[in-house]
Amino acid sequence: MQGVMTPADIEAAQHLQHIHETPKSFVKHYVFSIDHKYIAKQFLWAGLLFLFFGGMLAMLIRWQWAYPGEAVPVVGNLLFPDTQGAITPPTYNTIFTTHGLIMIFFAITPIMIGCFGNFCIPLMIGARDMAFPWLNLLSFWIFALSQALVLASFCVELGSAAAGWTTYPPLASQVGTPGLGQSLMVLALFVTGVSTIMGAINYITTVIRFRAPGMTWFRMPGTVWGLWLTSILNALFVPVLGSAGLMLLFDRHFGTQFFLTGAAGGTGDPILFQHLFWIFGHPEVYILILPIWGFVIDFMSFFARKPAYWFRGSIYAMITVTVLSAVVYGHHMFVTGMSPLLGQAFMLLTLVISVPAEILFLNWLHTIWKGSIRLTVPMLFGLGTIFVFGLGGLTGIYLGTISTDLYLHDTMFVVGHFHLTMASAAFLGSFGALYLWFPKMYGRLMNPFLGKVHFWFSTVGLTLVFGFQMLAGYAGQQRRLYDPFQYSYLEGLQDLNRFTTYCAFALAIGQLAFVYNFFYSLFAGKRASQNPWELGTIEWTDCASPPVHHNFDRIPVVYRGPHEYNHPEVLEKLGRDWIGQTEEFDPAADAATSDEVAATA
Amino acid sequence: MHNVVQLHPQALLEQRRNEQTSAIGMMVALGSWGMMFAALFFMYLGLRAHTLAWPPPGLPALPIALPSLNTVVIGCSSVALVRALRSMREGQRRPASLWMLATFVLGLAFVGLQTLLWWTTWQQGLTPSTGTLGTVFYSLTVLHALHVAAGLAVLAYLLGMTLGGRSMAERVTTLRLCGMFWHFVGGVWAFMFVGMFLL
Ligand code: HEM
Ligand SMILES: [Cu+2]
Repeated sequence: MQGVMTPADIEAAQHLQHIHETPKSFVKHYVFSIDHKYIAKQFLWAGLLFLFFGGMLAMLIRWQWAYPGEAVPVVGNLLFPDTQGAITPPTYNTIFTTHGLIMIFFAITPIMIGCFGNFCIPLMIGARDMAFPWLNLLSFWIFALSQALVLASFCVELGSAAAGWTTYPPLASQVGTPGLGQSLMVLALFVTGVSTIMGAINYITTVIRFRAPGMTWFRMPGTVWGLWLTSILNALFVPVLGSAGLMLLFDRHFGTQFFLTGAAGGTGDPILFQHLFWIFGHPEVYILILPIWGFVIDFMSFFARKPAYWFRGSIYAMITVTVLSAVVYGHHMFVTGMSPLLGQAFMLLTLVISVPAEILFLNWLHTIWKGSIRLTVPMLFGLGTIFVFGLGGLTGIYLGTISTDLYLHDTMFVVGHFHLTMASAAFLGSFGALYLWFPKMYGRLMNPFLGKVHFWFSTVGLTLVFGFQMLAGYAGQQRRLYDPFQYSYLEGLQDLNRFTTYCAFALAIGQLAFVYNFFYSLFAGKRASQNPWELGTIEWTDCASPPVHHNFDRIPVVYRGPHEYNHPEVLEKLGRDWIGQTEEFDPAADAATSDEVAATA
Repeated sequence: MHNVVQLHPQALLEQRRNEQTSAIGMMVALGSWGMMFAALFFMYLGLRAHTLAWPPPGLPALPIALPSLNTVVIGCSSVALVRALRSMREGQRRPASLWMLATFVLGLAFVGLQTLLWWTTWQQGLTPSTGTLGTVFYSLTVLHALHVAAGLAVLAYLLGMTLGGRSMAERVTTLRLCGMFWHFVGGVWAFMFVGMFLL
């Protein structure tokens, strides 16, 4: 399992994972599948559907900020017949609340972690399936249940959740948001949390146990590292949100008083909810960025045709961030009246995170420096990710510093910040991954021209929309206002807000390029060869496109790391600029390295 | 008689490895579960830190005798489960079933005594909405008891399988995982006992 590669070990690895029979019945194949590749696709579709849903909600918010209270064009009368198409304040609250929750938990998480975690981990480490295929099946269907709960929450009286994505009590108590919708949404969060944890158990265990012979930890691609570290954070911190949600539900329905105080009647403490929420919430933002960092490490190397610069450094940086992310949550609570000393400690720890983040950043730049860059669609998306993440990360420093945060807190500056880091980077990174692995998933190529159109609309659109939001926030515009311009000091920002809205609409329209490309390629795209990008990781070198049901007839043996591009000897002897991780090149030399690894393992 | 030993060495190796894999998965799961309970404890400590006196003025102190007895009960059930697993590994059906039965009965007794505890406190006027004491006491103990009940369900299933003469080698892993969960739930109780009833 480690770097030790005696023939006996290689033989043992073949037996550890059985070859599941390819299911024959329709239901087992397409509905209750235990095949990680198929479950990945299920997560992809479920996530894309809700991404569309959440995106439409975002357009409504943007409309409201451009033309507050005016009838929504085209769909207004259909959605809000009672008000001739205008958004009312309570509806507005529901819209921005559900937009945030849907995007984070029901769109990005399933696509990035559910889909690519499932698809990439076993293939890239050379495993036949996840460690617990049945748990995997369950994880998807529990997730589907949580999505159903979200939809149900829109259908009850008083509508869905309206207390903000952070769900702070007392706003989230029965006093602030009566109605079943809020409860159903909190329940949906709990249920989706269960699904996420099940996924995490699978990913963590699979990577520990099912790496192919020779696949040492540092021979794993950055993608697998990112997803693995994310899974650890998921396993540890999603349950904290689950706990907080449970207590909220108890308060709402069973008469307990965890968070109720004052006018809400009780002796509880709502600030404690904020603690619990952010103990989860800050790791959550890294949950959503670590896989993206992993993708970017790989993409830069793949398409600059160079080894990833200081790969180990990048991995150590990611591990450091994973650890640190657990101890900085207080920076979301600087204005809650926490002790200044504690605030300073949180500030210091927060700013320390920029060091490993910087290392990663420099390593990416070093990787592409003087590379033979191929501007493929995934590479463009990777570069776009670096750009928006850089902008967002830099603005985090202003928020992490108490003196500036006191002014910026609860303004659109925060909204711009986290949309650049979390939303834009996760969006671009995930789509980059989709463009990269689509040929492997579906056996067909996507159209690169449309992909590039999608890229430019998305990257420019996201940068402008969230850049302008930060500008508005810097000028003092509070977040979550129904009609910002009823305050005279914000009247001057109306034009800026309108222009931002036009950018957002352009961003949305640009997505049509993806929709068309996706469906067209799915059915009529050119057939993909086994390795269309000329990459060296296992899924490209050892699996057909798409892979057979059990991935590998024989579990492959791994000889080297994931980023061997433009190696002079390989160029000379094989005449190509890449070599697969599982390719026997110079048996004598390979045996020597594997002995070395064995000695250090 | 000794099922496990009869397995082919290769099959035995595979089974060991699969068991190890499952155990790792279970450990991750328990880590998650632990964080869930940790968050509840955080809440309890946070609320308690805000209150000048504990129990808050006007509320009865929580009983101590019943919870002490229950600590012993759940501790014994854990020991019984360890013995059950050992017997099962050795392929001894009768002792395995008996120890499992003992675990089950003790677990059931735990839930029964908890119910008695709730009944007593309720009689004294403590309900989930009587201040923070009622809130944390009922929430934590009920959530915990639900976990015990879940463990009991799995135990009952395994007991049925074993008594029904199914191959024990196949159930060793399940029993081991069930045991890990059971000890974990016992450990959570120990925390609760010290944190909520003793201190
Ligand atoms: C060096 C890096 C970063 C620093 C120093 C930083 C700092 C901060 C601070 C201090 C806040 C609180 C602002 C306030 O509410 O007043 C904040 C909010 C936030 N950040 Fe970051 N951040 C960084 C990177 C990231 C990354 C990588 C992500 C996500 C991938 C992220 C996502 C968020 C989110 C979601 C929020 C706020 C959510 C809300 O209040 O609704 N941040 N950040
Ligand atoms: Cu944070």
